[in-house]
Amino acid sequence: MIEWLIGLPTDTPLLAAPMAILVAALALAFVRVVRGPTIPDRVIALDLMASLVVGLLLLLGAVLDLLAIVDIAIVLALIAFLTTVAFASLIERRTRE
Amino acid sequence: MSEIVSGLLALAGALLMLIAAIGLLRMPDFYTRMQAAAKAGTLGILLIVAATGITLGSVSALLHALLASLFFLLTTPVAAHLLGRAAYLSGIRPWVLHDDLAGRYHPSTHELSGEPSAAPPEPDVSQ
Amino acid sequence: MNLFLLNVLLAIVWTMAVGRFTFQQLSLGFLLGFLVIVVIEPLWGKQAYTPRVWRTLRFTGFFLWEMFLSNLQIAYDVLTHRLYARPQIIAVPLDTRTAAEITLLANFLTLTPGTLSLDVSTDRQTLYVHAMYVKDRERFIDEVKRGLEARLLEVLR
Repeated sequence: MIEWLIGLPTDTPLLAAPMAILVAALALAFVRVVRGPTIPDRVIALDLMASLVVGLLLLLGAVLDLLAIVDIAIVLALIAFLTTVAFASLIERRTRE
Repeated sequence: MSEIVSGLLALAGALLMLIAAIGLLRMPDFYTRMQAAAKAGTLGILLIVAATGITLGSVSALLHALLASLFFLLTTPVAAHLLGRAAYLSGIRPWVLHDDLAGRYHPSTHELSGEPSAAPPEPDVSQ
Repeated sequence: MNLFLLNVLLAIVWTMAVGRFTFQQLSLGFLLGFLVIVVIEPLWGKQAYTPRVWRTLRFTGFFLWEMFLSNLQIAYDVLTHRLYARPQIIAVPLDTRTAAEITLLANFLTLTPGTLSLDVSTDRQTLYVHAMYVKDRERFIDEVKRGLEARLLEVLR
């Protein structure tokens, strides 16, 4: 199944199910992004989506035996954190005026 | 052996992140949603990091995993904390039995006092 | 801190003695060095290295257990049909003083069962906590102060 998922042969088939679950969670979190109702709701949903993609990248790195993907995942996590912080300060600053 | 361990860790982590996403959909208000996302999301990603470290197995992979776990342990709660404060200030009322924060922010400077201000506190919003 | 450096030194000496500088040998050397230090620490006079390591380990165990419990609780509440949460926002008076201590306490509180730290008052005396499963407010405040805060200060000070 995992070969079908990523198009490459691997020797760690046990990681396919977690990856599928993460994709399902990604879809659910996206529902919250669309539905809102407030901006902070959308921001936490986006933050969770970013961590889900980080998880997917990490598992992909494990499956392909590529440490570089883990580096990419860490950088993505950093960017997601900074984005959330920026959104928080934006929301707060807008209420101060 | 290590393959099975890492598979189970990854499965548990992915299920926790799925629970975080379901919690995001099912919880009644913003703050409870954030609790679900912050807790289940953090432990979920930590388990996945551990699974990746074990699968790759090399020293540098394990060090990467350690670094990434420390990073997640520190940043996820900080992001939740900042977002919670911003949401409260932007006027999203929590669905709570009792709110100690009510009326304690200075309306324009956003300074937060530790004690109830001179004005009488708002009555409990029991629901 | 002095004895910690000695411990690192002992670990490196161990890898030199074995002749293989690998992660496994380094950790084994660290462990053996720690055992040596447990034995010789009384000779140093008053140094609190090993008790501190024990306290840190105990705190780590306690924290991991709490984190496990909190996830179990959240999972149960999310997956069952009924909602058990009865949230409140509670002001907790702080004994922690420095910014680092407060940050760590707020972080750990967010990850432990049913609580989420929302904000710290400007004078750093009060932490506002969103708690989901609190029946008795006074007892909750007492639990936070004697459980998490006291243990954290034990490790940090």
